[in-house]
Amino acid sequence: MSMVSALAHLEAMETWRAVPLTAFRHRRLSGRPLVVIPLTMAGEAGAPLAVMVGSARRERTLLVVEQPRNRDQRFAFAASLGQIVMDYINSFRQDRRTDGDRSRYTDAPQILVPNPGGIKALADLGRMCRFRQVSGPYAVEEVVPEFGMWLTFLVDAAEEAGTSMLLPVTGMLAEHWATGQSTLEDQNLASLMAWISPPPGLSVEQALADAENPDVWPPAGPTTSPEFDNRDLAPAIRRFDTANRLGDPQALADAESDLRDLIAEQIQPTWRTMWNAVSLLRSVPEAPRAARRFERDCIAFTNYSDYQDSGALPQRKRDAAVGAARRLNRLERALADYEADMAFDDPFVLADRRSVGEAFAGTVVDAEPGRVVTTDRNRRVPRPRIVVRTEDPLRLAGDTKLISPSPTLPASHRAVIVSTAPDGAATLVTVEITGGMGRARVPAQGTVPEVGQRLAYLPDPGWRPNPQFPEADSMPWTHTAPPDGPDPESDDAAEEWGHD
Amino acid sequence: MNAPVDDRLAALRGSSRRLPYSARSLAALENNPRCTLRALLDSSGSDKAAIAARAGFPSPFGQSTFALARGNAFEAMVKANGCAELLRVLRETLHLTLPEVGYIDLNDVGGDGRPDVRHARTTHLLVRAALGQGDSTLYDHPMLRLVVGGHEVFLEPDLVAFRIDDRFHVVEIKSFPIIDEQASPAQVRSATTQACAYVIALRAMLEQAGIGPQAVSDQIILVAPKDFTNRPTAAFVDARKQVATLTRQLERIARIGDLVELLPEGLTFDLNLDADDRPRRPAEELTEALDQVDATYRPDCLNHCEMAFYCRSRARANASLDVLGPAVREQLGGIDTATMALGLARGQLAPTDDQTEMAVALRHAARLRAELGGAA
Repeated sequence: MSMVSALAHLEAMETWRAVPLTAFRHRRLSGRPLVVIPLTMAGEAGAPLAVMVGSARRERTLLVVEQPRNRDQRFAFAASLGQIVMDYINSFRQDRRTDGDRSRYTDAPQILVPNPGGIKALADLGRMCRFRQVSGPYAVEEVVPEFGMWLTFLVDAAEEAGTSMLLPVTGMLAEHWATGQSTLEDQNLASLMAWISPPPGLSVEQALADAENPDVWPPAGPTTSPEFDNRDLAPAIRRFDTANRLGDPQALADAESDLRDLIAEQIQPTWRTMWNAVSLLRSVPEAPRAARRFERDCIAFTNYSDYQDSGALPQRKRDAAVGAARRLNRLERALADYEADMAFDDPFVLADRRSVGEAFAGTVVDAEPGRVVTTDRNRRVPRPRIVVRTEDPLRLAGDTKLISPSPTLPASHRAVIVSTAPDGAATLVTVEITGGMGRARVPAQGTVPEVGQRLAYLPDPGWRPNPQFPEADSMPWTHTAPPDGPDPESDDAAEEWGHD
Repeated sequence: MNAPVDDRLAALRGSSRRLPYSARSLAALENNPRCTLRALLDSSGSDKAAIAARAGFPSPFGQSTFALARGNAFEAMVKANGCAELLRVLRETLHLTLPEVGYIDLNDVGGDGRPDVRHARTTHLLVRAALGQGDSTLYDHPMLRLVVGGHEVFLEPDLVAFRIDDRFHVVEIKSFPIIDEQASPAQVRSATTQACAYVIALRAMLEQAGIGPQAVSDQIILVAPKDFTNRPTAAFVDARKQVATLTRQLERIARIGDLVELLPEGLTFDLNLDADDRPRRPAEELTEALDQVDATYRPDCLNHCEMAFYCRSRARANASLDVLGPAVREQLGGIDTATMALGLARGQLAPTDDQTEMAVALRHAARLRAELGGAA
């Protein structure tokens, strides 16, 4: 955390009110996001209990697994949820625009879950579904493996900084607002919302106390509160089991609707909060560069759709060597780009980075606009130098490549630090301008900063070539792995836990 | 432990029954070892949950019956038929060459379930095995004993296996899944820490028979459901570091006397329970007593300590930076409260010599925020 963000948290703590951390919302917010609130059963591995899903506040569907330990019911649930999610995803596969020799969809889906735990629950569900067979023993419905692969794709995408296809709402809120509580408590949707917009008539302090009381605000999942489990859920499931065993249709229908009512009561407050959070986020202006990142989402979405259409294989359980290297490269790259994008767009984020010396701003105190050097190829090129006086605690070393978010300079402006020297409490930074001056011998008008001008610089994440990895057939055996088959324990589909 | 210290601890607890340490509360030692309040409450055997509730902060820790049922069902399944499933996993997954297997159930001794009887039997069998005189390999729920701060604690590991490289291995059976050979790091960590207490107790027991610590492996065998099935899988977990940490923490408990000496005379956390176990001590008086002891609150405490909500409200009242957690704390090293940090940032407080550098950084950050139209 930077000094400026830390200060924002301190202010929030002092005033008992959330304080904005950024000028913009750096995540795209779809006009029609799909809100998914998964609940799982305590103690079980990836056993879904229920989900509330829908793309508008009033259009919600509640799916409940009456006996989460029964694996048939689990996959019936996966099929119903899968159908809803696939319908949603497919609705984005209509409008395709051609761009050169490639074409891509013009929009991409966006799934919102309450917290990082929600993403984990979807990851587990995806893992459970994607290796399932649609024929043979323990066959599942056709949509199940497809749904599993799509979930895995979305979860993988969510790991990448700056993407918007699957996001936890707590993360989006905490990126824009600083609260007077810890990161751990910020993962509780209700208490985060209590800081940002407490219910009318309540102080933040009162709203917080309510948010942590599971009887007032049931947890946003994926786990339910132990009191609810013991007091309400366990007896309701037991009644369902009994009715099921006795084969009494009326009792069964009653037990089912009781169970649904019970779970609806637990999940509805979170549903309302999710949509309140969405409206709140919509009121924050979107960062200019979010649009460019969204294009990358559209491309990734198109590529994966096309791969699905051509008969996709489920994603590996564990990455093989090259796959892992590729993923790591992609993630590092995305993070560096996203951080630079944010600082470029947002004066708050820039200030953050300035406070820890990763960027600087100041006034030009000296300039050598006519400086020309001769390159190795014997060409004479303009290389003007300027000296910037900054009071920021600069930590960038010489030779650091720079970009500038200052609106007076062209976006293609590139520079490099030549040297730094202390000047009292301030620092004098000598900067050589290397790009963004036009093609002529003499720099174009307004491309070289003048004495007295104020500007800011931050490190250029730079262009890096995509690393080359060996092809599959030229890989040594030490670095390959056979494709994953379906889970060997095919009998797990038939297993059932004893009823308690 | 000397008698005066013990008397002081008993006075802290007051009239309530002494709560013994368990593997769980021992493991908790590792989480926040520097907290004086927790150290005192634990070593005096006070009931933290009851105290927190009386002070107005009932602790939300409960376990879901579903988790309990699943845990018990899984353990029973792994151990069924003389641990048949467990042996399959040890042989197939961990590729252990276990010789002929003898299974001994130590859940009771001829129907007698008293801990000391079971402990005697456990000691007899395990020491014989270590000396090469037994032929058993798996010991189900042996009863171990550890002396913590002068008090006996009985510990019951799920299982102890012998004859894997002729060493004892503690086997922890847990019901969280290992999916694609990966399990939740937090859960693995808490399982390992718990198992560390068993390793230490086992070593202490063997030491009395003159057998060295190398007889007990530092590797824990973790048995847990594979993927989404009920079938178990297993993994070795290296617990060397955690064993060392826990050993150190246990030695610190022995020095609790140093902490006790610093307490004001007559301090007690006694709840003054009536015949129906209802506390009669006024809440304000109890809070006053608690407030006299240092607590090291961290947001992480909310996950495992019964006193956490009380400590958080105290930290909030003091505007302590602990409320915001380690990320902010580390950024503002040497400053304890939000009031002080904001005072320095706004130039309303004069920094001490240690704080000069931090004050410059804070004032710079405050200027940056002011430029943005913030209110700093």
